Amino acid sequence: MIKTWELDPGFKYEIMKEPGGEHLTSCYQCSTCTIGCPITELVPSYNPRKIIQMSLLGMREEVLSNPDLWICLICQTCTARCPQDVGISDLLSAIRRIAEKDEEAGKLKIESPRPLFDTAFLHTVEKYGRLYDIGLAMEYYPKREGSFIAGQKAMMKDYKDFGMRMFFKGKMGPLGGHGLLKGVLPSKIKNKDVMKKIFKWAEEKEK
Amino acid sequence: MSVTKLAYYPGCPSEATALEQHISTEAVFEKLGVELVEVEDWNCCGAAEAENPMLVYALNARNLAIAERASLDIMTPCSICYYNLARTAKALKEDEKLNAEIKGIDSTLEYNGTITAKHVLDVLANDVGLDELKSKIVKKVNIKVAPYYGCYISRPPGTAYDDPDDPVSMDQLIELIGGEVVPFSQMKTLCCGGPLMMTRADIAYDMARKILDTAKSAGADCVALACPLCGMMLDAKQADIEKALNIKIEMPVIYITQLLGLALGIDAKKLGLEKNVVDTKELLGKVV
Repeated sequence: MIKTWELDPGFKYEIMKEPGGEHLTSCYQCSTCTIGCPITELVPSYNPRKIIQMSLLGMREEVLSNPDLWICLICQTCTARCPQDVGISDLLSAIRRIAEKDEEAGKLKIESPRPLFDTAFLHTVEKYGRLYDIGLAMEYYPKREGSFIAGQKAMMKDYKDFGMRMFFKGKMGPLGGHGLLKGVLPSKIKNKDVMKKIFKWAEEKEK
Repeated sequence: MSVTKLAYYPGCPSEATALEQHISTEAVFEKLGVELVEVEDWNCCGAAEAENPMLVYALNARNLAIAERASLDIMTPCSICYYNLARTAKALKEDEKLNAEIKGIDSTLEYNGTITAKHVLDVLANDVGLDELKSKIVKKVNIKVAPYYGCYISRPPGTAYDDPDDPVSMDQLIELIGGEVVPFSQMKTLCCGGPLMMTRADIAYDMARKILDTAKSAGADCVALACPLCGMMLDAKQADIEKALNIKIEMPVIYITQLLGLALGIDAKKLGLEKNVVDTKELLGKVV
């Protein structure tokens, strides 16, 4: 049951202030987003229309703690089909960023490893200017599993076979003839200072 | 042919997991007489992991600016890189205030909107064009192909260059080189599951399985694609999907640049066909 006295009437404005969240109030609940969503087909609880309606109503806590927020593929099918140009993919991203800010402020615990993954990915970009797959995995798995050892185990389980394939196909390592440690060591850009400036600026903008 | 020289943005997977897409793209454009100038000191586009659009705009402004200083349109083989470059170009052209702010981060981020971002498939099908390609084809690639487009080629509407429900650019190339397009319209633009690969592999595997299964039951010899993340999911992870779901798929997955390269008479090794994880040897016998 919805308790009207617990609703946050400011939530929709909070979302609309985020880049991507601007068109929230254009939604007239037709459900085209949800009917065509490939995730809804696999996970029946996943319902972007409902997330939007709950946001409009001000059900801040329920929306931000909904684990389904983190299984959106950002595939843009909803965005392409929405008759009201709500920009649902970007809207959900805006909601996820609010959830991340709440978690940083200690107000929320996100029940998904996805923010850890995204952060580990971006850390390699900030550091080297390019994605470094191995660095990403080395940060992500231990954080997800809660310890270095458990992280290494989980990483080996997921990526041992994959790594061997990449090695023997010459995509990573010496067999491709593109350098002994190609793909094993990070590829670094020369202008690393600019990466620092870009990340610092973007972080400031998020506040 | 309206295009003779382009700035080339390979994207991060080009250096490892999608090496074959990178080298086949270079080989194809060399054969077509289009000069590719690699964007000097290019940086990552932020992929799908940079959820803050401001970060995406700043990261991609730098790559756009480098290409612009050389007065060349920027082309990438990756659909996500394309989406990020194209939406950044659009945002910076439309929003002067944002553009000024991004220039303020660093002078190397100055982009004035004089060049545009292009995806490899778009350049091949629409800029080089089918007539020009046809005149250079020397071999018939006599195989049945399931054309897989994924997400950012036909979505979202602001940056897409093909139809959201029934894209055709890859179909046209396949038919041009003598291949047969199998019935695949339901799967053409379904997401491969890639963005959930490391956080919800169960969902990602189900997504990829649907695409591969449909290609198989449609009688395809291979799936063709134009994005390294789709390649990672459908090809490099195919054995993991088979293991996790206890099924056999064994569906070769090939970049469209590799297929086109074969028709242009480029050597299989130069197209990196030994690097695709699911074996492609059987397909080579059908190139005549």
